[in-house]
Amino acid sequence: MGTPLSRRTFLAATAATLTAAGPRPLRAQPKTVKIGAVHPVTGALAEIGQACRLGAQMAVDAVNAAGGIKSLGGARLELVLGDTENKPDVARAEAERVIAAGAQILTGAFHSGQTAAMIPVAQQKRVPFLIDISAADPLTANVAESVRKGEQKVQYVYRNFPTTRMFGQRAVQYMTELFKDAGVQPKRVVLIYTNDLFGQTQARQFQAAVREKNPGFEIVEAIPFPENATDLSTEVSRLKALRPDIVAPVTRATTAILLLQELHKQRVDYLGVISPGTPGLYEAGQIAQLKELIEHVMDCVPWPNFKNPRTRQMAEEYARRSGGKTFDTNSGYSYEAILIIADVLERARSTDPEAVVDAIRKTNLKDPLMVAAGPIMFNEIGDNPNASTAMIQILGQKPVVVWPREAAEQKYVFPRPKR
Amino acid sequence: MAVGLTLIFGVMRVVNFAHGDMMVWGMYLAWLLATRLGLDPYVGFVVCAAALFLLGLAVQRGLVEPILDAPHEMQILLMLGVALVLENAALLIFGPEPQRVRSPLTLSTLWLGPLFVDVARLVTFAVAVVLAAALSLFLFRTDLGRAIRAAADNTYGALVIGVDVRRVYMVAFGIGAACVGAAGALTAPFLPFQPSFGLSASVTSFNIVIIGGMGSLLGAFVGGLLVSVAESLGAVFLSSSLKELVSFSLLIAILLLRPAGLFGRRP
Amino acid sequence: MTALVLAALGVLLVLPAVLPSYALTVFTFTFFYAYLGQAWNLLGGYAGQLSVGHAAFVGIGAYTSAMLAREAGLTPWLGMFVGGALAAVLGAVIGYLGFRFGLRGFYFVLLTVAFAEVCRIAALNTEAIGGALGLYITFTGNPRQFQFQDPRAYYYIALGLVLAATAVTALVERRRFGIYLTAIREDEGAAEAAGVPTFRYKMLAMVASSFLAGLGGTFYAFYLFSLQPNTVFGIPLSVEIVIRPIVGGAGTLLGPIVGSFILSPLAELSRYAFAAGGWSGAHLIVYGVLLVVVVLFFPQGAVPWLRRLLGRAQP
Repeated sequence: MGTPLSRRTFLAATAATLTAAGPRPLRAQPKTVKIGAVHPVTGALAEIGQACRLGAQMAVDAVNAAGGIKSLGGARLELVLGDTENKPDVARAEAERVIAAGAQILTGAFHSGQTAAMIPVAQQKRVPFLIDISAADPLTANVAESVRKGEQKVQYVYRNFPTTRMFGQRAVQYMTELFKDAGVQPKRVVLIYTNDLFGQTQARQFQAAVREKNPGFEIVEAIPFPENATDLSTEVSRLKALRPDIVAPVTRATTAILLLQELHKQRVDYLGVISPGTPGLYEAGQIAQLKELIEHVMDCVPWPNFKNPRTRQMAEEYARRSGGKTFDTNSGYSYEAILIIADVLERARSTDPEAVVDAIRKTNLKDPLMVAAGPIMFNEIGDNPNASTAMIQILGQKPVVVWPREAAEQKYVFPRPKR
Repeated sequence: MAVGLTLIFGVMRVVNFAHGDMMVWGMYLAWLLATRLGLDPYVGFVVCAAALFLLGLAVQRGLVEPILDAPHEMQILLMLGVALVLENAALLIFGPEPQRVRSPLTLSTLWLGPLFVDVARLVTFAVAVVLAAALSLFLFRTDLGRAIRAAADNTYGALVIGVDVRRVYMVAFGIGAACVGAAGALTAPFLPFQPSFGLSASVTSFNIVIIGGMGSLLGAFVGGLLVSVAESLGAVFLSSSLKELVSFSLLIAILLLRPAGLFGRRP
Repeated sequence: MTALVLAALGVLLVLPAVLPSYALTVFTFTFFYAYLGQAWNLLGGYAGQLSVGHAAFVGIGAYTSAMLAREAGLTPWLGMFVGGALAAVLGAVIGYLGFRFGLRGFYFVLLTVAFAEVCRIAALNTEAIGGALGLYITFTGNPRQFQFQDPRAYYYIALGLVLAATAVTALVERRRFGIYLTAIREDEGAAEAAGVPTFRYKMLAMVASSFLAGLGGTFYAFYLFSLQPNTVFGIPLSVEIVIRPIVGGAGTLLGPIVGSFILSPLAELSRYAFAAGGWSGAHLIVYGVLLVVVVLFFPQGAVPWLRRLLGRAQP
């Protein structure tokens, strides 16, 4: 680098020499901090779980490559991997197992039910748990409540992910702003959603937010369909009869394919497909499957902020290591969770659970990787109030952020061009 | 329009927990043929059926045959084991992403005034009808077919009249698996699939087979139609998410009132 | 055999003093599934009425006590009996329909599956119990709320549940009840002809079995702290319940326990062995293969085989 020896490097070097002069001079490797990363790597959510796992692994590699946790003498991070198999009982056992294998901090677990099963373990064993993805509001709120009532002494559970309530609120906000900007006022929105954990929650929160904000459009009907649907023709016929301006879907990967195919086949006429937040409408695999059918589809999801150069760099690495997949919500939030943990450890200067919790509460990380409303911090419930979603659109067969304006990579196309 | 799909489920006559996963393998084979060799699934299904026939033979020969005399529940358990292996082998090899086989027919529709017909489903339906007819000809018009029916009706009777029951079981199981393979390949163009799809496919096929009647081809047909019509009506008149409830209620009613199914013989 | 069992029990009682908490968790689940398997065994093993819908009873028990605790402040220690009773009511309904209409074998299996699925879909669509989002239980660690800061408490409760269910089963086995049930399993027509009131005894087995499974639901709810229809009413849970007694030996007193001790650690070990390699799914393949092997080589289940082995050792 050519810079003169600074005081800090000098001290560090001295410290290193001193340590090296200790009783086991050549073996003084920096110690490791183990992080238990528990995700649904097999079962129905396997694709997502594997994206989370790879995101976390990449972040660990990046932190280690940058010299590890400096305040802990360059301690290296190491993941202890766990698989929930998409079952809550396995999630609990895996949480116990990774802790037994030395994990001092937990992260995970995508599915709120599985995260819920891990929370008591974290509280019982006093292991700080930073939830990377899980949107159900009660997860952190329940723990905060029992601490407030004095039933638990310390809250060990924190979350860096928008809660379901935030999802609904942001979706309505972005839609309102975007319609205004485009000078179009759609009136009739038909909500069509998968009747599972995620779909029901998203639909309910979206409806609640529309009722509350009165944004000039109304949800004329909400059509649920079974989560393992093999055919959506009846539902789409019903949707078509409602003459929607906006189709607002909440789907899973397979039903997203079914839905978009069916909208095309039945020649449904609408201004745009805008989801209040769903998987299935932005993944590289889905785009490859659906090609032109998915062009111009919009989705309100937590998303990496590609205006942040660090994020772009990570996305390239992620694509390389995953065989061409998109750095998205899942990989991104799991990555960011590890970065937060690294920052927390750096400030805590210790792996003592109380010190770690204390440092988590004082977090103030600028320039988050993901689109956010401000720096990463944790409120009294243990949630990050600035965690947010972004409006993305498939343009040129790639998902790009189109709203909020500060994070937008390209201008949106709305209403969709007629074919 | 679910008819094509449900009908094919109905044709998979032997009911077991591994059937859904065998179907998923049929789908992946069709996908491999389509992506690697450019073979349209409406042609490739023959290959898939043949491959699954062999798999079925192997499973019957190596696994089912040794425990034919064991309690019935052991066979259910065995099939669960096979299902676990098949599902997760697919996960390991093909990955968890949902796949879809592209066929030129996938997105084409025929419009008859305001009504539309989904061409892929229509073709699948037609092929299924032909397959079912062929199967029924085989069962009723050939010696081997008669032997299969005899063995299904009464194992000891078949033994007494000199049928090689073991061979017959093997062929029957193979044909069952082949049907499943064909079903997978034929539905792959319009039904996106992933490794975890197997269980729900198994349950749906139980439903249809029972409603129509075990071992009755006509029953499987009518069962398939009935389930899809009932589900569609359920989706229109009740909430769409309750349509599964309709088919399960139908299943319970049929089980109680006509346990052999609408077209089956009394057990 | 008895001495062996007593010795094993003694070891299990003192084990928590030395075991780390992860091993305790594995044991706790082993006991819990053995307990559910024992509940199933009464109906499926002794009476030979194969149910693949026992998750429905667990689910009803779990939801009942969780809802009572949340809405009425009723302690789950009482709520669990209400849950068990409701599960028994459902069991009675299924049993009445199934047995009245004479469903046997695979048809009875499907009836139970269909009822469990109906429960699952109904729960998914009922807002009052959280719909698909399910119920989230606040972790307080308060023993009055069936929650414990110390994982050893769950260990002992699960162990207690297995012992209680096994004691009930042992009692049944020695009485006329058990003999009648076995007779029904072996040949229902003959049992009927010999004057066994088959319908009444099948109903009794069904009610007892579903009541026990319902009690287990409360443990599930307050050990895992969240309930979703797809997990507590789903087919996979039913399958977990069925597998253990069948592997161990259906219709034997120790079958569910032995089965659980074979399968639960096996699942953990194979998961552990493959988790690090990133071979997603590989451990489930191993699980499946082992299941097939067990079926092929111990088709009667493990307990009869063990008994033969022991019998040969001490003629």
